[in-house]
Amino acid sequence: MIVALQVPRSTSRKVIALIIDMHMHIDDIPSLGSLVSPGACIERMDEAGVEAAAVMTLRDLPGVNPQALDLIGEACAEYSGRLFGFIRLNPWYGKQALELLDYAISSGGFRGLKLHPVSTCAHPAGEETVGLIRKAGKLGVPTLFHCGDEPMTTPLSVAPAALQCPDSTIILGHMGGYFHVDEAIDVAESAPNIILETSAMPYPAKIKDAVDRIGAHRVIFGSDGPVSSPVLERHKVTLAGLMPEEEKLVLGENAARLLGVAK
Amino acid sequence: MTIDGLAYIGESRYGYRLDPASLIEVLDHNNVASAFVAPTHRPDHDFTKGNAYVARAAEESGGRLLPMARVDPWSGDDAIGAVFEAIVSDKFRALLLHPAEEYFRINHPLVRRIAQRAEDLHLPVVVATGYPALSEAAQITQFAQWCPAAPVILTNGGQLNISGLGQADANLALELSNVYVQTSGVYRDDWIARVVSQFGAERIMFASSEPLMEFAYELKRIQLAHVTDEAKALILGGNSSRLFKLANT
Repeated sequence: MIVALQVPRSTSRKVIALIIDMHMHIDDIPSLGSLVSPGACIERMDEAGVEAAAVMTLRDLPGVNPQALDLIGEACAEYSGRLFGFIRLNPWYGKQALELLDYAISSGGFRGLKLHPVSTCAHPAGEETVGLIRKAGKLGVPTLFHCGDEPMTTPLSVAPAALQCPDSTIILGHMGGYFHVDEAIDVAESAPNIILETSAMPYPAKIKDAVDRIGAHRVIFGSDGPVSSPVLERHKVTLAGLMPEEEKLVLGENAARLLGVAK
Repeated sequence: MTIDGLAYIGESRYGYRLDPASLIEVLDHNNVASAFVAPTHRPDHDFTKGNAYVARAAEESGGRLLPMARVDPWSGDDAIGAVFEAIVSDKFRALLLHPAEEYFRINHPLVRRIAQRAEDLHLPVVVATGYPALSEAAQITQFAQWCPAAPVILTNGGQLNISGLGQADANLALELSNVYVQTSGVYRDDWIARVVSQFGAERIMFASSEPLMEFAYELKRIQLAHVTDEAKALILGGNSSRLFKLANT
């Protein structure tokens, strides 16, 4: 059973069908071209009827983004019940990254780990990355990978990490991008700890394909917003033509389970 | 009036197919007036037959399907010449180049003779864009400089990269006044809005790339875009109508 999120609104606390966006961004590093506010996320979520979202920075902690924990933490506090933080880490920082992950999850209220091998140049199956994924699993939170078409981000690059960390949940964000979607579904078939996230990849029919092959409980809605459009991304799931119960799982119930807001 | 800037009809050697009647059904279902259609890369590699198929389908469609020729730069002078003869005789509205499916680099010297012919005719050239090493936006910038009087239209917003890593090069391509972009597969809503504000709404147009991409979703991409209604009208049909000279028909 899903606990409906109580969303603070100015005039109403009406609970609607649970829709959770598992991939949104907030950041504040204008010098690196990364400037996305929590307010922009909320505005786009409201437009799309999205109740809650997982939010993460665009740049990695530590290193270029030393304020990331505070930035995400403050956004989640300001929009309590609507925004849930994922800590985006650079695995090359080794012990420091592990300690940051531990702190963020155990004390900071964060709900997941984000890894982007393009920005960190750390291979998903490298020792440092695997250490972080295992730690996330022990802490009971999922690891969301950017999974697209670039080297080190493709499904076949991430799959060995999933196989090395069977007790950790791994989310393939973008489920393979433009050219690697079939491979994302293939690796999810062989690794039961892989979940596919729908943002940005442009093929509604592939969502249906994924649901048919690995089950609706392993596919989750994400938008990559606010720069991508949550309302459009939500339409993509609708256009996939899933059964109503499947669509409910994909649009929110699976995410509620992963974020720890379901019981 | 909504016009699809690019769809493919026929059977492709790459495993997809779409027949004209099915495409018209899709247009009807989505309340779209017409679509520019190019042939697929047929299993027999015969582009002459493919172009003839498209021309015939357009003729029989009562104006719903608008023909675009396709040429393989690797084919000989005779074959390329025949395509341009058909264009001159007003059978086709534009030319499609697909570097990924015909496997050539868009800025390869071999392609220059095609650019020259397009330049002479002021012919719109649609380039299937975003394929690494073959049709990157920066590579197409070179091609577009070979034919400054011909509109060069980049599919997929000039980029197929889910990290947004192709956007800067697409922006640089748009610095050329003869470069335009289609919206198929463009996942960044903010980029669509930025093209409108930075380069003008007349530089970007709706295309479905059906059946490679999904018509209804690609149409929604524009219907839900965060741009003005005036900009949407240009993107959804006004620009294709102007660039492909529909107003003169």
